Amino acid sequence: MLELFSYGPVLRGFLVLLISGFTFPITGVYLLRMNLLPLRFMLMHGALLGGAIAMAFQFNPFWTTMLINLLLVWFMVKTARGLKADMGYISIFIMVAAVGLAFALISIFNVQAKDTMSLLWGSIFTIGTLQTVGFIVIALLIVGFHFLKYRQLKAVFFDPSVAFSSGVNERAIYTIVVLITALTVAVAMKLIGALLIDVVIILPAIISTLHAKSFKSVVIWSSLWGGFFAFAGFFVAYWLKIPTSSAIALIATVVFLVIYFRKKQKS
Amino acid sequence: MEKSLIVTQNNLEIFTSHSKWLYPLFELEDFLFTGKYSPENLSLTDKIAGKAAAFLIVRLGFKKVHIHLISEGAVSIFNRFQIDFTFDELVPKIQCKTEEIVIGNEPVDEVWQMLRRRAGRVAGLSVEIKDLVVEIDHKLIIDKLNLRVGKGEHVFIKGANGVGKTTLLKAILGLEKFSSGSIQVGDFLVGSKEWDKNRSVTGYVHQEMVKNNFPISAAEVVEIGLSGQQLNQTEIFHRIEIAMRRTGCFHLEKRSYHELSGGEKQRVNIARCLCQQAKVLLFDEPTSFLDNGAKDEMHELLTELWINEAPTAIIVSHDEHWMSKFKCQIHELRDGIIC
Repeated sequence: MLELFSYGPVLRGFLVLLISGFTFPITGVYLLRMNLLPLRFMLMHGALLGGAIAMAFQFNPFWTTMLINLLLVWFMVKTARGLKADMGYISIFIMVAAVGLAFALISIFNVQAKDTMSLLWGSIFTIGTLQTVGFIVIALLIVGFHFLKYRQLKAVFFDPSVAFSSGVNERAIYTIVVLITALTVAVAMKLIGALLIDVVIILPAIISTLHAKSFKSVVIWSSLWGGFFAFAGFFVAYWLKIPTSSAIALIATVVFLVIYFRKKQKS
Repeated sequence: MEKSLIVTQNNLEIFTSHSKWLYPLFELEDFLFTGKYSPENLSLTDKIAGKAAAFLIVRLGFKKVHIHLISEGAVSIFNRFQIDFTFDELVPKIQCKTEEIVIGNEPVDEVWQMLRRRAGRVAGLSVEIKDLVVEIDHKLIIDKLNLRVGKGEHVFIKGANGVGKTTLLKAILGLEKFSSGSIQVGDFLVGSKEWDKNRSVTGYVHQEMVKNNFPISAAEVVEIGLSGQQLNQTEIFHRIEIAMRRTGCFHLEKRSYHELSGGEKQRVNIARCLCQQAKVLLFDEPTSFLDNGAKDEMHELLTELWINEAPTAIIVSHDEHWMSKFKCQIHELRDGIIC
């Protein structure tokens, strides 16, 4: 089985999957805690728009998607603050607008819709060298930001008013969290596809909150679960001859159910 | 230079001071804080003692005292607390403002607190609000409000729900923008760049109810107080431990914050403010969601905190029964102004 790794794309895919598995769930913790779950729907649709723009204008879909998602998040934060509105509502508005624009572009530029839709599936074996660098940079960004701003993050997650009174620039932390999340969602789509993105980002964080008692342990466990799912998912996928994303999703679901019912039994 | 205060143990000088007024006694208080000496076994010789000095000597726990020049008021205080004292000269009163302020029959802690404030030995900063106007969505919430809270003072603000009590606290914190007026916390004007760098001087204790149940341990909540400060890990652990011990919640450090009782959560939140070294504490309905036992505990804890740390405190609450337990000023917020 190890001879698989003699193929460059397989080895690259495996390493990127492992790096993402260990680091991306950290942003899942942010998404959960800051109740930004609607944000990832917006980002998924943003990816569709990015794909449509890339196909229409012959750009690189990976980088275009990332750029579009960053712009959408920036617009969302700016609009929500300007209107003093809930980010969830704004993200729904942007989501609808993004899909509308994406389909308009597909229609105007005669883009093959299936090409754009391929973004919804993703593949770990089609990741290029430059994209690998992109993944590594984003993983480092997540880990670096988390360790540098660990106490500030914890304060904002506990209560923004308390964070503010402790001297934390809670608006800046919030904005950076949303931007990092946008980048993570954008690149994770390439890896595992839009439909199963929650498996890499959210599910490890949800499982951790079921058994962890502190913020530190939630983050550590999310990272460990994410890494484990990625590692096990890769080999289970090979063994069962199913897509990697499906294998990861199934393993995560089993773990989630086991921990959930054990917790229920205890209580 | 002549020594104004001498403390001996078995005729051996262990502490001396050359300072004036009541400062030698406050210096002695710091000296004894280490717990190395027991005042009951020491002898104190003071140059001059009026009523204020007598109260401080009593509070320090000395039993054997010699005063060169003593006032009649001080004699009566020493007699009241059965202090074994001698003196060289007795005068009707000491020529000092504090001799007039102190009556002589007040509780010792009350006098001690007042003297500490006069000596500038309080952790608190003053808060001065002038003509404050706050509007939210074009609705006038606070209308030219004026309030002054001195260093180390404690003020309660009562008022019905929705009168703007929380808005007032948020304005002091700088979280709520105000249309006009000014808020000065110590030397910092709220909203200024200087204040922005020093806003951790204000600690905020919100209602017990935190809007989420995301896992966080009690120690992690206390650590939040240090979020805006650059400290090494050893210093962080040290500060957390001291703050939690001072509020009696160190045994809860590893427990999940959300599993704690209402009273325990408030202890943890006050520890967070102590860890932050906040000089002004703002309490927003601190007894909401607390049962009577927890309210009594909270009263005890705050009284102790005010005696020992003496931060300035502004407490908004609608729990009049609980507020009446404190001997503090109680203001009412009505129609956007303090009545």
